[in-house]
Amino acid sequence: MRGRIGSQLVQYLILIFLTLALNFFLPRAMPGNPLSRLAGEDVALMSPEARQELLVRHGLDRPLAVQFGIFLRSLAQGDLGYSFQRNASVASIIAERIPWTLLLTTTALTLQTLIGVMLGGWAAWRRGGSADYGTMAAVMLCRSMPSFWIAMILLAIFGAELRWFPMFGAFKPWLVGGDSLAAVVDVLRHLALPVTSMVVLGTAETFMTMRYSMLDVLGEDYVRTARAKGLREVVVLYKHAGRNALLPVATVFMLSLGFAVGGATVIETVFAYPGMGRLMYEAVLGRDYPLLQGTFLVITLAVIAANIVADLLYPLVDPRVRST
Amino acid sequence: MTDLVSGKRPYALKLFLGNPPGLIGALLLVMLLGIAVLAPQISPYDPDDRVGRPFQEPGAGHLLGTNDIGQDILSEIIWGTRASLTIGVVAGMLVTTIGTMVGLVAGCSGGTVDNLLMRFTDLVLIVPFLPLMILLAAFLGPSFYNLLLVIGVLMWARPARIIRSQVLSLRCRTYVEAARAAGASSGRIMFRHILPGVLPLALAQFVMSASMAILIEASLSFLGLGDPLQKSWGSILFYAQARGAFITGAWLWWVLPPGLLITLTVMGFALTGFALDRYVNPRLNQRQAGG
Repeated sequence: MRGRIGSQLVQYLILIFLTLALNFFLPRAMPGNPLSRLAGEDVALMSPEARQELLVRHGLDRPLAVQFGIFLRSLAQGDLGYSFQRNASVASIIAERIPWTLLLTTTALTLQTLIGVMLGGWAAWRRGGSADYGTMAAVMLCRSMPSFWIAMILLAIFGAELRWFPMFGAFKPWLVGGDSLAAVVDVLRHLALPVTSMVVLGTAETFMTMRYSMLDVLGEDYVRTARAKGLREVVVLYKHAGRNALLPVATVFMLSLGFAVGGATVIETVFAYPGMGRLMYEAVLGRDYPLLQGTFLVITLAVIAANIVADLLYPLVDPRVRST
Repeated sequence: MTDLVSGKRPYALKLFLGNPPGLIGALLLVMLLGIAVLAPQISPYDPDDRVGRPFQEPGAGHLLGTNDIGQDILSEIIWGTRASLTIGVVAGMLVTTIGTMVGLVAGCSGGTVDNLLMRFTDLVLIVPFLPLMILLAAFLGPSFYNLLLVIGVLMWARPARIIRSQVLSLRCRTYVEAARAAGASSGRIMFRHILPGVLPLALAQFVMSASMAILIEASLSFLGLGDPLQKSWGSILFYAQARGAFITGAWLWWVLPPGLLITLTVMGFALTGFALDRYVNPRLNQRQAGG
């Protein structure tokens, strides 16, 4: 067991190294002046002195190995770079966005897990019946839709036509610092449509996982025993079978949690939601390369961290893994 | 693979006829393929020509109205079918070829090679997909080939894992042992004896990868990172979004149809894929039936 976790940690370390190397080499390997890739295209507007200072700071006049050392050292100091377009450090810009993204993605993730578990368990119980096939078909349909399209349709119907929900952003700036209840309601109303889009799309995976694992568990002897004892079907389903069937769902949940930091680029873009995904998109649009790389790095590290946590937690949740 | 063992192999046609979702999927694909092939004949206008007043509502001349620069939306959508199917099929083939080769080599060689390849595959599986694609697309610049490259580099890992597990089970079959005993070289065993056994699985993986590739192309085009010279459903939606189509009510004919077609295409591939999956992997049937 310890050996397995050890070798997996090595694997994650390699992945972190590769991510860092990619971040280091991409701007330097591209044609053109690497300075503009490192600092964004605003570099053309800088004075020669400022440009020279930048050149020295990134060590662009020194060998690649030295440059990589400088790159790693500044990262270790928490320096993700500087966005000249926004006149702010990349780390501070990202820190501003992360709470919004987490609010959006964890809300969606919680809802889609609850819905997926309930629907999946129910479909497995009614396996082969019209309820099972009906939900399967609906979930498949939802999964086939492009996320940004769901978002646009919801926006058109509930935002523009019916005016039930606000169309853009995460809050109304003029409510900040005022009545706190009104502000909370306002944030929730802004959250409604993006969260719905994500849930429509994301429920499929939990549903499928829950349905399959429930089918597996329902065939086990102890479930038959529980039924033979005369327990009610609901009790058998949710108390006996459900608990074990939840294990794979827990894995899916933990791994999705890692992707939560990355947000949902396209959905955040449609709703102009100020999260990480949208930030990355803005960085692409503005050719703000330092910001683009910084967001990518943070997103990847979050995913790796979630994987490590999932690996460590899994034996706690499922004792059967411990013995192997 | 009981069918292969018993020698009774249901015909592909029968497989689809006995499986309504698979049939629907296959019909959808045939229909879309027809639209793509016949695009020059059936589209009323050249999608790149400015043929009318901008922002027209649907009417006699333009069934789905016109876009922000006066191009016929219906023609755009018909030609977009080509772009989406092309990227789906080509990227799907690329992904499946890489995945099959990696899975085949890993499964057949075993030992250190297998270990290293699978470790690497696991690495690729963890990578956050869309962010890396956005990063690469932004640095490489938007074009059809870069899109293909990015999808190919990142999506082969899943097929590789699945193919490898199949190879591992084929490797211990008696006919492979017989070939080995007869002195066949490892290359011959790999390509003549094991490859045919994984091809059906590879086909199912191809169909799945194609549907993923279509969704990814749509997302990247929607973000403005697709090929700027090619009309695709994603890029139509990009302009609809950029010009605020949903505020004016134009979303009904500008946003709804392209997205619906993306959904139908992805559904078509997915349903066909599930049918193929059941065909090559009958154990799935039992499990879904509650066994």
